[in-house]
Amino acid sequence: MTDALGMALATQGLAKRYGSRVALDGLDLRVPSGVVYGFLGPNGAGKTTTMRILTGLVRADAGRVELFGRPFGRRDRKQLFGVGALIEAPSFYPFLSGRENLRALAATGAPTPASRIDELLALVNLRDRAGDTVSGYSLGMKQRLGIAGALLSDPRLLLLDEPANGLDPAGIAGMRDTLRALAAAGKTVFVSSHILSEVQQLADVVGIIARGRLIREGRIEQLLREEGSVRVRVAPPEVPSAGATLEAVAGPGTVRAETGPEDGWLEVRIDPERGAELNRALAGAGVFASRIEVGTNLEELFLELTGTGRDVGAPPAQGASPVVPGWPS
Amino acid sequence: MRLLRANLRKLPRRPATWVTFLLLIGLNALITFFVILGSKIATDPQGALAARQFLTFPTAYELVLSMVIGLGGLLAVTYGAAIAGSEWTWGTLKAAVARGEGRTRYTLLTYVAVAGFTFLGLLGAFLVGVVVSAVGALIVGVPLDGMADTDALLGLPERLGRAGLAMAMNAALGYAIATVARSQLAGIGVGIGLFFAESIAGFFVPHIIKWFPFSASGAVVTGGAGGSTVVNGQELGASLDATTAILVTIAWLVVSLAVASLWTERAEIGG
Repeated sequence: MTDALGMALATQGLAKRYGSRVALDGLDLRVPSGVVYGFLGPNGAGKTTTMRILTGLVRADAGRVELFGRPFGRRDRKQLFGVGALIEAPSFYPFLSGRENLRALAATGAPTPASRIDELLALVNLRDRAGDTVSGYSLGMKQRLGIAGALLSDPRLLLLDEPANGLDPAGIAGMRDTLRALAAAGKTVFVSSHILSEVQQLADVVGIIARGRLIREGRIEQLLREEGSVRVRVAPPEVPSAGATLEAVAGPGTVRAETGPEDGWLEVRIDPERGAELNRALAGAGVFASRIEVGTNLEELFLELTGTGRDVGAPPAQGASPVVPGWPS
Repeated sequence: MRLLRANLRKLPRRPATWVTFLLLIGLNALITFFVILGSKIATDPQGALAARQFLTFPTAYELVLSMVIGLGGLLAVTYGAAIAGSEWTWGTLKAAVARGEGRTRYTLLTYVAVAGFTFLGLLGAFLVGVVVSAVGALIVGVPLDGMADTDALLGLPERLGRAGLAMAMNAALGYAIATVARSQLAGIGVGIGLFFAESIAGFFVPHIIKWFPFSASGAVVTGGAGGSTVVNGQELGASLDATTAILVTIAWLVVSLAVASLWTERAEIGG
């Protein structure tokens, strides 16, 4: 299922329950070698549970995992020698310095040359603070150290859970460059993140999960093309005729009249590259669009696929107390 | 070996190591200070004599060792619990397991380092205690001739070895409790609670409690010379003899480590 087909990591039917709560419900992932894979999903979708299973921290109730073409189970811990991971918050001894923490971590798992520690401290820009105890580090510095820890054994597969957490813009840019360089060198980087714009810049392939199942996986540009849309605004009386014209181009059932504060908007599910074609068809039918918006970003795609609404609550009723916006379910 | 080396390098940097050690020598020094004070201000000649005897070598060797072990047993439980609990609290066990480290190997090698430092703490506290007692002896005017007593000195390695076993078992017990609780605080709290619960229960059911970890380790240290508990002229139960006490203590040590390893091996590691 994996290496022979150029897959660094694959899961099949992965399932996990915590009591009555289903965390994973038959998750199938295919992570090609040498790519940055963005692993996306709303809170509670099962991302961290997946990461824990992939690193042997938690046992799956059902399903299988393959790492580098070989089945991975509880007794195959040495396969993790080729994996570097940063799961949830970085974990360090607060009374040791950054360098000492990396030394302590290097004493576990795969053998690591001592020189690697200073290389990584320089890579994550922590060399000047490497002798300070971790208890005095900021969140971003701990995150940098966590990324250095994940890279200790020069892993073929890197699993990072929210790696940009706490990093400043320079840190995020540096991390992005590092991860891209690793993928260019043939390593596989598996990144779970909530920062969708960051994933859009970073990832080659994305997998989107919701309620413990994979709902879409593929190359990012392909997904955006397939899930793309073009929004067209016409005069409200012309909506029916414009809709028919657009449907003739894009296919049946692809056009939806939007309801909202502004009348006359139509959304067409079509490759955004074909926006000009729609415009031409409308003009040919004598309907002139006052506005055309093309493209879908990853955030739009994510919200649509996962069925999560935007984090905006309804406005308060007259005289009522202000409503705190509710979080998406 | 690199994991054991890393643990041995790590523990001297831990505040828990120094706090435990300083607490042990500080409390023992405080007791000695009160003994010295007692010998100076006691109006009762018997009291003054008892205080002077406390500081008289070679008996002082045994008394210092008893004090170190009395407090050290409890502190060893809390130290073992502090180290094991922090591996869960700080997530460092998680990081090691995610790197492919063996759970049982990690648990046992971390414990070996804890046991090593517990023994070093015992030795250090004993040496400091001897020095403090010698200074006390000089202050109250007791001669130090007995310090070179050959019999006492030759018997010390065996006594320290037995004390080391007892402390190592106590540390393993704390280590196992904190591993099961996955928490430093819970491990320390439960460890202290068990220590006192066993001590109190020993008054009521000594024939049962003598098999329990703290009582058995106490019998190891005293060489089975702890005597029996007598209530209203009736002997309720003797402490274990030396050999049985050693075997029971080793059994408790092995069980504690087995529980800690098994628990870690089967645990689902989150947070």
